[in-house]
Amino acid sequence: MSIFLAQLLTGLAYGMLYFMIAAGLTIILGVMNVVNLAHGTLFMLGAYIVFTFISDELNFWIALLISVLLTAVLGIILEKLLIKHVYGKELEQVLLTFGLSFIIADVVKWIWGTEMQTLPVPALLDASLSIGEMVFPLYRLFVVFIGCLLALLLWYLESKTRIGAIIRAGVDDRAMVGALGINVGLVFTGVFAFGAALAGLSGALGGPLIGMYTGMDNEILVTSLIVVVIGGLGSWKGSFISAILVGVIETFGKVWFPSLSMLIVFLIMMVVLIIRPQGLFGREVA
Amino acid sequence: MSLLKVENISKSFKTLQVLYNVSLEVKPGERHVIIGPNGAGKTTLFNCITNLLPIDSGSIYLDGKEISKLSPHHLVHLGMSRTFQKNNLFGDLTVEENLHLALVAKKSYRYNIFSPLASRSDIKKETNRILDQWEISSRRHIKVKNLSYGEQRLLEVLLAMASNPKILLLDEPTSGMSPAETAQTSEMIQKLPRSIALVVIEHDMEVVFAIADRITVLHHGEVILSGSPEEVRNNEMVKEIYFGGGAKQHA
Amino acid sequence: MKKIFIYTVLLILLVLAMPLVLSDFGINLATEIYIMSIFAMSLGLIMGYAGMVSLGHAGFFGIGAYTVAVIGQYVSNSYLLLLISVVISGLTALITGVVFIRTSKFYFLMITLAFGQLLYVLFWQLKPWTGGADGMSVSAILNLGFGEILSPNAFYYVMGVAFIIAYILLRLFVESPAGKITKGIMENEARMSALGYNVRVYKLLAYTLSGALAGFAGSLYSYFNVFVSPDLSSWTFSGQVMVMVIIGGVGTLFGPAIGASVFICLQNFISTYTERWPMIMGAILVILVLIGKGGIIHWLRYFKDIIFLRKQTDEGAPQNQVKKEEVVN
Repeated sequence: MSIFLAQLLTGLAYGMLYFMIAAGLTIILGVMNVVNLAHGTLFMLGAYIVFTFISDELNFWIALLISVLLTAVLGIILEKLLIKHVYGKELEQVLLTFGLSFIIADVVKWIWGTEMQTLPVPALLDASLSIGEMVFPLYRLFVVFIGCLLALLLWYLESKTRIGAIIRAGVDDRAMVGALGINVGLVFTGVFAFGAALAGLSGALGGPLIGMYTGMDNEILVTSLIVVVIGGLGSWKGSFISAILVGVIETFGKVWFPSLSMLIVFLIMMVVLIIRPQGLFGREVA
Repeated sequence: MSLLKVENISKSFKTLQVLYNVSLEVKPGERHVIIGPNGAGKTTLFNCITNLLPIDSGSIYLDGKEISKLSPHHLVHLGMSRTFQKNNLFGDLTVEENLHLALVAKKSYRYNIFSPLASRSDIKKETNRILDQWEISSRRHIKVKNLSYGEQRLLEVLLAMASNPKILLLDEPTSGMSPAETAQTSEMIQKLPRSIALVVIEHDMEVVFAIADRITVLHHGEVILSGSPEEVRNNEMVKEIYFGGGAKQHA
Repeated sequence: MKKIFIYTVLLILLVLAMPLVLSDFGINLATEIYIMSIFAMSLGLIMGYAGMVSLGHAGFFGIGAYTVAVIGQYVSNSYLLLLISVVISGLTALITGVVFIRTSKFYFLMITLAFGQLLYVLFWQLKPWTGGADGMSVSAILNLGFGEILSPNAFYYVMGVAFIIAYILLRLFVESPAGKITKGIMENEARMSALGYNVRVYKLLAYTLSGALAGFAGSLYSYFNVFVSPDLSSWTFSGQVMVMVIIGGVGTLFGPAIGASVFICLQNFISTYTERWPMIMGAILVILVLIGKGGIIHWLRYFKDIIFLRKQTDEGAPQNQVKKEEVVN
């Protein structure tokens, strides 16, 4: 029983990481109609930036903050310089973000090498919570907490603020947002930077859990794409549910069928698509 | 016996109800015109009949067969064809190639993956016949996007007729046309053979009364009247909705 | 049609004549280019003629490659083995395609990416059969009935012929009724449906043919490279093939082959000077996107038009002269 609960917590922690990265992906997709194939490399970059600053004896939390800020700034630069030229052009988007993912991944390889690295769990959270005979690593609980906080924040932003109203309008009707006299360019830059920051944040938080290694960007990209597909295009709520689903199933899958965990997740996606081609919470497309 | 029978269909988008219990009957060869102010649900009605949009309730019969669940392409093979309000053609293909695409739909070799379409003589013959009949042979090699708007509207109808339908739904065939083009199109519609029943959405009252055998008036998603042109012309309610407001159209 | 016939003959002559001027290294490179061209053309078919942008096409390539590697341990007849590869990859495309093609374009992109990556992980994890991350060497030897094919020149001609056959088959498909209809569906799906076509059948047909052809390319690669690894199905490989298609020219049959040639030559050339090929490739992509539309084949056509001062095929402004006399009435 205690092992089961510990696994469940691990699954939830992974699910929350997936949610953080998928939320960025799906918001960018929903608002800007851009599939950002470089999103996985931003995640990787987030983890490595923290790694560098911690190596300089910096506090984990400050390093995390720097990582989030840097990825957000990178997001702004990428959007202003490159992404804005390819709105509405699907093939160009794919080509551009694919190229970017190659560049960023190669830069990471260049700077940090190909050796596998891990981030230490921050001292404050390097402990376990014991309830009876059950032991829960505090850091995982913390990641789950942050994930829930993010969901709460997104809910608040979406339903209670002007910016949320603008973005919702943008998802439903692009032309209208422009007609309202809102600076669409600014909104898009902000959304892209926000998504990039989320990728950076999840990378920083994920470092102590999954470590850093070559190819992690691809793994995380594929998993988060699956999360987005299951949840429904542009719906962060859908991503929240499906991220938890994928995280938990993947974790248990790794225990029970070590070599087929990916297959299980993929099959779940297929089943969802057969029943609901637009994803669990996706808008119906006429 | 009616050819097309629409029985009490309803359709809503989320909270917005667009069609309430709409019923309609079309006899073979009949010219049935649907009129109504903008937003009355006319195009939605067409989309529901051709199952581009699934209906919420009600039933639709073609030749006595319930068709509301059949896919759009299936309906074409049962003899129902349609045009679209906005031109919906293959702009980068020539007039001839557009017709080819439309004509192959009924051929048994439409799934053939080896022998060139260009070498099929039956398609060529039928294309020539249509081009000659409508006197547009000289335009055959022009890319469709370079045709005039009126020519595109004509081609739109010709594509829909290529499957040799029993019933043809025309969605605002004269929309966006100059008065001259409108007159031309009205005449073209009148020239269509009586073997085809027509259901036409139309705004131009001159065209409506020139072609209609029967008129159905749709208002806020409801049928408020279905009758002969005379009945519609003299109906107080229709006058109120249609002719009472600013527009000074007359028959 | 006549023009296409002339091009095809020229292509055959080119393939036959190339070994006369190429070094051994060049012959090997050309052989690889033929295989990659088949692969790129298979993706180019669904991208340019069916409007389906897949980022998981390497999945089929991997299926073909691993089929030869794994089943080739028990089956020695090359024809049979190639047939099995094509059938398995085609069937996989058919089955997954039924689900994939129901989705919208962004979904299709993401789902195919996940599909390719799934195969990548499977080849990785099914270690007892596939050798896992280390890959496996291919024991099957290509023999088409006139001796074992081992020398670079022999490989060159076999792959060259395979390339020409693939090109001709694709050309036939594109000109066939089904091919024209598929293209029509790409341009305007709703209209084709309203004309009476079952659009899903055509999309599925194109996807299946494309998957089978990619599998065929993979199985040829397996014979050629005598070694296979999970990377053959990774999404970055899928992405690279897509890059070949796009830089060659989407919407043409031969463009992807040109793209494959340029890509592989560049890759080989740059890799001899620096390890930073991925970064350079990324930069090239970004620059390509920023400088504008179209692939190499579009540029070639453009230059040809300038050089030969060709008259534009479309007649200028729209003319409105149809049945003018009726307007008078």
